[in-house]
Amino acid sequence: MTIAPDGMHPDDTPVTDESPRGWLDRRIDLRGMKQTLLDRGVPGRLTWWHTLGSATLTVLMVQIVTGAVLATYYSPSPDHAYESVQFLQRFVLSGALLRGIHAWGASAMVVLTLAHMVRVFMTGAYKFPREPNWLIGIALLILVLAFGFTGYLLPWDQRAYWATQVGTSMAGAVPVVGSFLGKLLRGGSQIGAATLTRFYAIHVFWLPFSILALIGVHLLFVVRQGIAARSADMQPQAPAHTTDATYPTFYHRAYAASKRAGDRFWPDIIAKDIVAAVVVVAVLVFLGSRYGASLEAPANPTDTTYVPRPEWYFLPLYQLLKFFPGRFEGVAVVGVPALVLLVFIALPFFDRRSARTLLHRPIGLAAMVILIGGSAVLMGAALRDVPPGSAPDLASSGLSAVERSGRATFVRQCASCHVVHGSGGDQGPELTEIGLRHSSAWLHSFMENPKSFRGSDSKMLSFGPPALTHQGIEEVARYLTTLRGVPGQNRVPDIRDTFPDLAKLGLSVASTGAPALPALRKPAPVTK
Amino acid sequence: MDDDSTHELPPSDATRASRRRFLARASAIGSAAIVGMVGVPVLRAFISPGVAAAQGTPWIKVADDIGTLDIGTPIKLDFIEERSDAWIATRTLRTVWIRTEDGATFTAFSGVCTHLGCSYFFEAEKKIFHCPCHHGLFDGTSGKVVGGPPPRGLDTVPVKVEEGALFVQYQSFLSGVPDKTVV
Repeated sequence: MTIAPDGMHPDDTPVTDESPRGWLDRRIDLRGMKQTLLDRGVPGRLTWWHTLGSATLTVLMVQIVTGAVLATYYSPSPDHAYESVQFLQRFVLSGALLRGIHAWGASAMVVLTLAHMVRVFMTGAYKFPREPNWLIGIALLILVLAFGFTGYLLPWDQRAYWATQVGTSMAGAVPVVGSFLGKLLRGGSQIGAATLTRFYAIHVFWLPFSILALIGVHLLFVVRQGIAARSADMQPQAPAHTTDATYPTFYHRAYAASKRAGDRFWPDIIAKDIVAAVVVVAVLVFLGSRYGASLEAPANPTDTTYVPRPEWYFLPLYQLLKFFPGRFEGVAVVGVPALVLLVFIALPFFDRRSARTLLHRPIGLAAMVILIGGSAVLMGAALRDVPPGSAPDLASSGLSAVERSGRATFVRQCASCHVVHGSGGDQGPELTEIGLRHSSAWLHSFMENPKSFRGSDSKMLSFGPPALTHQGIEEVARYLTTLRGVPGQNRVPDIRDTFPDLAKLGLSVASTGAPALPALRKPAPVTK
Repeated sequence: MDDDSTHELPPSDATRASRRRFLARASAIGSAAIVGMVGVPVLRAFISPGVAAAQGTPWIKVADDIGTLDIGTPIKLDFIEERSDAWIATRTLRTVWIRTEDGATFTAFSGVCTHLGCSYFFEAEKKIFHCPCHHGLFDGTSGKVVGGPPPRGLDTVPVKVEEGALFVQYQSFLSGVPDKTVV
């Protein structure tokens, strides 16, 4: 470096340079700053994957700027939060767009942070000397998720309220300190005014300051240590372990060589970062204007039929909870995330082999595939559980595959006339408690030929083949038997089936050779 | 690590220099694009209140059918006035007294006494409006003060007929002062 011991450049900037830049340079050493921050050498052949970190930073800036406008038109009170968001959407110029950008930006933050983390993992960049920055990165990921969790409540619509209900109850399931944690999160025993101001303050003050401070350190470390070189450049002739006494010397020599063959941070790397950032921001603006951010009905704490659904990036955890019944739920709530977190934290200290390319790290590769694959499977299961647009009912959890399939058919074919748990058409009778009165056999038979039960003036359409297959009817019938009123009431069905007189239908068991009563029908095979 | 962190350009390497000039320019354009894409909607939202069309006093329907209104005798009509302060909507029960001589042209008096803001009533046999609080008396036809402490006559509010329905543009006025002043 050309910086003099006192940090000045008396030689570079003539005292006669009277321009503002010269004046400032003599005082704060602009050139020195430019050399340190911008003229840095960086290792060669960095990939597009290396732009993920700066893209995340760009989206954070977008979030801060759009969030500042949203806060301008927001009232963090249950009385007015929803109306203020509605006001923003309807009456503020570009209000709906900004809310859309901010909501999609939240997802982008999670995606980009995780992708950046995967890149760092794949290239072994968390190894010596970057263990500290890996740890800061983990903290940043937690902050990003906390942003998502707290921001989700703010619109105070049904989705917001019920997702937070689930989220804070999860905290309540933690062993020993659960009820304390739950109250701490909610600012009381129930979700209400104190929860909203709490989430608002965390979302708008605590988290932004924390994340900016941590990013400052994260970037400071990047400037000090330089961007990690391509993993292949750091492997030949490397000592076996990063803890070997000779490793630091090897590392610095190899890194310096990689930098000599490389580019300069400005403009080579920055230009690439900006290209990636432009694409990301353009996608956000497109998504924000095309799809916006949803605003459902205002939060209604008394509505027990609403199916709570957390934001997509919490779905794997949400799905995982379903596998841990009752008192083991707390184990899953704390245990699984804590385990993942612990693995992340321990990683750079545990994995001390100097190999950096993924192909030379079979365990790392396997762990990554399991973690990403497992999350994807859980998320897929969670998404399939409540197909979009289905009739919401709390009883949906615990349905078998056949019953779920029946429910999907019901939503398509029957919900336009029949109400279940408060949603559906009013042409036909409500079916919320149908499972208390009829067996699946009766229901199957009825759907196939309602006129034979109710006479020709029945408004119920016949759904026998070809309208629905026998399998389809059976699935719907099975689903209907699960409808037993308010979920969890555990009422015992009181079946009152009466079948039509066979003779009236002109059927007889002897002549058809087949059992005419659906009650004797072999149940449709249970398929996935 | 700092030792070789700066790269001096070989002065002869003109292609490299021009490539860097291009990259610097591309960076500037890209940054401007990002700032524009986000900055324009942000600015629009921020200045939104300044450019939004001013909302006039709304017309409120007080009677569906003017044919049902008495001729020659004032009648009292209650209605809900909705006011919104940004996202905070307030609904207030308001009153106007409607008078018509011919069933076609109407006068609407604000239902608030000009003295201290009480509600007044109509005394049919004397044909006067009477405020019971301090016995302010107003002429039953013109609304002028005919007795008591009120500083001015009853306040009229704009009224119109549209498709057989009656609308008023309700406003509140300062009470206790001689001049009719909109609050």
